[in-house]
Amino acid sequence: MTRDDDRARQEFTGEAEELLDSLSRDLAELESQGKDVRPELVNKIFRSVHSLKGLAGMLGFSGIAELSHNLEDMLDKLRMGKIAIDRDLVDLLYDSVDSLNRLLLAINDPAVAALVDVTKLTSRIHLMASRQPQQKETDVLAALTLDEHTRRSLTEYEEHRLVENVRTGKHILMLEVTFAFVDFDEQLRAITATLSESGEVISTLPSLDATGGAGISFRLLYGSTLNEQAAAAIAPQAKVSDLRVAPLSVAPPPPATEHDEEELSLRSMSPTVRVDIARLDHVMNIVGELIIEKTQLDNVTRSLAPQQSRALLQELTKIARNLDRKLNDLQRSVVEIRMVPIGQIYARLSRTVRKLARELNKEIELVLRGEDTELDKVMIEELTDPLMHIIRNALDHGIEPAEERRKKGKAAVGRVTLNAYQQGSSVVIDVRDDGRGIDPKGIRDAAVKRGLITSDEDVDAQRAYELLFAPGFSTASAVSEISGRGVGLDVVKRNIQQLKGTIDVLSEPGAGTTFRIILPITLAIIQALIVRAGGEKFAIPLASVEESLRIYSRDIRTVERREVFTLRESTLPLLRLADAFGMQDGHDEPPDTKHFIVLTRAGEKSIGLLVDALVRQQEIVIKAIGERLKSVPGIAGATEIGESEIVLVIDVASLIESFGGRARETRAAANR
Amino acid sequence: MKILVVEDSSSMRAYLSTIIEGGSESYDLEIVEASSGFEALKSLPHHKFDAILTDINMPDINGLELVSFLKNHPVYSKIPIMVISTESSEEDRKRASALGAEEYLVKPFESGELVDKLRRLLRVA
Repeated sequence: MTRDDDRARQEFTGEAEELLDSLSRDLAELESQGKDVRPELVNKIFRSVHSLKGLAGMLGFSGIAELSHNLEDMLDKLRMGKIAIDRDLVDLLYDSVDSLNRLLLAINDPAVAALVDVTKLTSRIHLMASRQPQQKETDVLAALTLDEHTRRSLTEYEEHRLVENVRTGKHILMLEVTFAFVDFDEQLRAITATLSESGEVISTLPSLDATGGAGISFRLLYGSTLNEQAAAAIAPQAKVSDLRVAPLSVAPPPPATEHDEEELSLRSMSPTVRVDIARLDHVMNIVGELIIEKTQLDNVTRSLAPQQSRALLQELTKIARNLDRKLNDLQRSVVEIRMVPIGQIYARLSRTVRKLARELNKEIELVLRGEDTELDKVMIEELTDPLMHIIRNALDHGIEPAEERRKKGKAAVGRVTLNAYQQGSSVVIDVRDDGRGIDPKGIRDAAVKRGLITSDEDVDAQRAYELLFAPGFSTASAVSEISGRGVGLDVVKRNIQQLKGTIDVLSEPGAGTTFRIILPITLAIIQALIVRAGGEKFAIPLASVEESLRIYSRDIRTVERREVFTLRESTLPLLRLADAFGMQDGHDEPPDTKHFIVLTRAGEKSIGLLVDALVRQQEIVIKAIGERLKSVPGIAGATEIGESEIVLVIDVASLIESFGGRARETRAAANR
Repeated sequence: MKILVVEDSSSMRAYLSTIIEGGSESYDLEIVEASSGFEALKSLPHHKFDAILTDINMPDINGLELVSFLKNHPVYSKIPIMVISTESSEEDRKRASALGAEEYLVKPFESGELVDKLRRLLRVA
């Protein structure tokens, strides 16, 4: 029983998150519909809050239950037409969803719990709910020949919608349809979708097959701009009758309304299942282990080669190749299952921007692009906070006040653009603002003041960007409420690096700033180059590898006590991989010693890793490593590359971070 | 005993089923879950239900419409129905009993309350 209770609790968090996400989307939709809000949408919002309240109440999450209860009361009045939709109400709904999200977080995090106070919000909701009723409903249903059976089956809400339709002069029609039992649901959804284009299906009442057959009949109560004949034309399978005692004399032409998206989304939602991400991780681990098994099969096949008969070997090779293909399919499918569109967090971001813009008294337009770009579910979750922070920064520091913008000849409304797109096996996310840009001098002064650099250090643009990400840096003279929160860009950078991604900044003073985040699509299984250095093997993620070259010792030069190599007329800093992990010293080797350079890149910086040999390319599964190695820079984890052979996986970004790299387009060696 | 639970929220379904199973030591029990009114309608010909528990607020057809269908059906009208909904739907509760629903349970409820009412509905000790 307790375990089942746990199941319900776990399901609750997942379902509550889904409800709140869909609420956010519906609110955005509500906002975009302006004056012509579709009743279906208001009812959907009501139902989401209603479900949330029911769930939270049953499972004892009293904070969420209470807030959603108050909200539900207000929404009930809204859908019943007792209060009107306006700006204040939409704002209130957004704030409520915010608080509900926080309360949900608070379930698992006592630190958050202490921060959530909904007293003020609750009194705002009460105030809103007690606003003057819009108008009183009179018994207009007397104007209809509505049979008792149908009338009694209406919920209070449906009855209200019927009254509204009568009041606004719609045709009130009854459509009777009969469908075969096997597919009545599809048929009914199809006809409902068609009808919803020109009106509202108020109630759907099932009954015995009216034709006496084995199917099932439905009576659809339909309020519409279409008259009896027009409705019969778009729903030829239905028997249509007009319920008005005195039908309208002139039928207005059916307006071309947009497609009922809600109906569509309801259908598209049904064939999905929700799965705990931990289960997918487990499947992924199994796939990873299968891949290792397959590598061993390859090894065995190779070792058999000289002694066995050709036919047997061919057979074995063929099996291995087929297995390889199927494994690839399996792996790709599992990765795909974990993928979710980044648009899932867009709603949350736009909510934050609205709120911040209001607090800062700035006018901001948020442009969101590439919402269909997919990323691993886990990464999407981890990405929300860093993105939020960068956007906050843009609003707070980047975008100028309207007055200043006008003086500069810019549009008064500041614009923040978020664009996500796929590039090979990476996803790029650009956050661009058209604000004042980053001034290297301002950065320098701030850095000196905070003791990060000495006053005689020169700060060019590149160095300024680096300082931005330095711990303890913040350009605002006082830690502002917005960007403050005790978190700096250094934390953002660390978060992104934990996702094996990179973050770079590019700015044009006066014109704006772009933060570019590049992330691998998934962390689970990656292609890697296995190399040997100092007698040990290492795996370098292929996504970070640009190319590899063979050189001799004599090609290596030393500039400013640092080994470099001239590649296509530019200077590439080198790092002996073995040195990086303290495995080898002394470079006094004969000038004709052979080396390999693996040219790696992380974001805008590159470095040449000097290794003894390239072993092969293969798929690896990165596993976490023990605490002892966690603090060693340059290591992403460990992986098994064959029969109990464990190697370290290189984290190129943190390696460059620690040992310096060369920025793209510049020819100087690194500056540390 | 075979019971149909109609509820669009999966966690609420899980919770209801858990309580019902927990309170069924004295009788054999099979629970069929439906996530919408449509699913409920589709399941009817395949089972012989001893009781039906349904939510009111659901997409496609709602609980009242389901009750209305069942109580006007020559075969299914004898199946006892318990409507489960929230206190804010007081008016709808009245309508459900006018349509012939036998029991009503208001969310949030104590698990004992559900077990007792279900026993009454099933006429088991």
